[in-house]
Amino acid sequence: MLAFVIKRCIQSVVVLFVMSLIVFSMINLVGDPVDMLVNPESLPEEIDRVRRDFGLDQSVQVQYWKFLTGAVSGDLGNSFIFGRPALALIAERFPATLELATCALILAVSVGLPLGIYAGLNPDGWGARIVMGGSVLGISIPTFWLGLMMIIIFSVLLGWLPVSGRGETENFLGIESSIFTVDGLRHLVLPAINLALFKISMVIRLTRAGVEEVMALDFIKFARARGLSSPRIIRSHLLPNIFIPIVTVLAIEFGTLIAFATVTESVFAWPGVGKLVIDAIVNLDRPIVVAYLLFVVTLFLVLNLIVDIIYAAIDPRVRLQGDR
Amino acid sequence: MQTIPIRMRTNRKTRSAMREKFSQPSTVVSGVLLFLVTICATFAPLIAPTNPYDLSVVSIMDGRLAPGEKMFDGTVAWLGTDGAGRDVLSAILFGLRTSLIVAVCSAVIALFIGLLVGLTAAFFGGRIDSFLMRIVDIQLSFPAILVALVLLALLGKGIDKVIIALIIVQWAIYARTVRATAIVERRKEYIEAATCLRLSSFRIIWKHLLPNSISPLIVLATLQTAHSISIEATLSFLGVGVPITEPSLGSLISNGFDYILSGAYWITLFPGIMLFATVAAINIFGDRLRVLLNPRLSK
Repeated sequence: MLAFVIKRCIQSVVVLFVMSLIVFSMINLVGDPVDMLVNPESLPEEIDRVRRDFGLDQSVQVQYWKFLTGAVSGDLGNSFIFGRPALALIAERFPATLELATCALILAVSVGLPLGIYAGLNPDGWGARIVMGGSVLGISIPTFWLGLMMIIIFSVLLGWLPVSGRGETENFLGIESSIFTVDGLRHLVLPAINLALFKISMVIRLTRAGVEEVMALDFIKFARARGLSSPRIIRSHLLPNIFIPIVTVLAIEFGTLIAFATVTESVFAWPGVGKLVIDAIVNLDRPIVVAYLLFVVTLFLVLNLIVDIIYAAIDPRVRLQGDR
Repeated sequence: MQTIPIRMRTNRKTRSAMREKFSQPSTVVSGVLLFLVTICATFAPLIAPTNPYDLSVVSIMDGRLAPGEKMFDGTVAWLGTDGAGRDVLSAILFGLRTSLIVAVCSAVIALFIGLLVGLTAAFFGGRIDSFLMRIVDIQLSFPAILVALVLLALLGKGIDKVIIALIIVQWAIYARTVRATAIVERRKEYIEAATCLRLSSFRIIWKHLLPNSISPLIVLATLQTAHSISIEATLSFLGVGVPITEPSLGSLISNGFDYILSGAYWITLFPGIMLFATVAAINIFGDRLRVLLNPRLSK
């Protein structure tokens, strides 16, 4: 186990390094951030001064070396536009994204799991057909368009919920979140449902497949033969067996939710990291793009490592590489 | 003797189950829809009432007409017009064309690269295999939308760049699937026989391994096409994909985003329905295809 973790950590550092190298060298080929920063009518000396101030007059190699030495000590550079450390900006915006992704995940599990189990247990019923048909539509519907339609229906036509933003937040037990205020909740409902819908459909499909697979196995037949009641079979024989794959998938899906939040945040103007990075891409704010990328890559590497470890811990049949 | 009738019966049963699965209304509807979408996209310039990108025809006087109103030159705008006076129906047809071209081009090229990598990995095994699959694993541990977003941040806007990004996003999935099938085929006798005949590696891969490893890819390629239409639309909506001057379903919806608060719902609604219907039709059709090509059912 330890050998596996060490090996994976070394691999992660290599991936991070290669990523930073590729991203840093390629991002310097797109556009000129100075154009976005200074008034086009300013004097050439002024433009040169800005270029020097941001270190953009130096070669890419020199810039990369500066970035790398800074990165080792935890400094990923200052945003061109905000003039503040990029990492601090991301850390500031991340709780909003985390909140959105967590709510969406909770929704996905609490709606998707029961529906999936129901569809798996009654595969030929009308209810199951509706659930499965709905899940295909849920996977096919483009998230951003659904968000727009939700705004048109619930905010513009009916006027029930606010159009955009995060609303009031309140500090409870050290967590600053909008789920503790009514206004915050009203702002959260639409984005959370919007982000969750795709995952709900995915959880339904995964759960149903799992239920159908397990229900066909021998130990379920033996449990039936022993005369156990259906609820008992479901509770103590079916559920523990379908949970392992679902839990591991969900851990990875949490990462995808954070990535997908970029789309939902742009539609609902939710002040999270996703919106920050989209604005940064459009405005050529390179340090934020690079910092966000390294941040997300680290997040995914850590999540994947945790998943692999949990997987090996739950399922004794899995052997980790390097453990042989 | 007794086993023969039993076998025949199960055979007939699975076959009729298959026929039933394929004649389900959802299969027929999705198939017809898919056919219509392809026709509309291919012949967009012939079918569309106006050319929304011909500046000599488009007039700002027609801006934001509601569905069914008459445009300045007398043509009826069945689905309304957008802020610049372009007919939404025509714009959708042209947009669908761009979206499908992007999705199909990227799918075909990614499939080709995936085949090459997957077959190479499966055939040579050893170090080459573990090196290639490590790259695939690392790439697939990140969500497609994120990889595409980052690539476009690095490459800039444009149809060609979206295609490149979608190829890079997709090749790994194909490579992994091809390798999984090919590695099973690799151990079979006919490959051994071909190796004994001292056929070249290229010939064995091309003539023997490839034809036997391709069927799981058909379903995957169908579903991936739906996925890449979605990704392209999302990227264009976020403003990093196809630029607004080139019509794609995503950029049309993004264009309508500015008008939703003023009540001009049709500029976003109709392109979105088209996008949704196309993706759903491909997904449902792919799902049915999976059932049909499933070896457990076609035995």
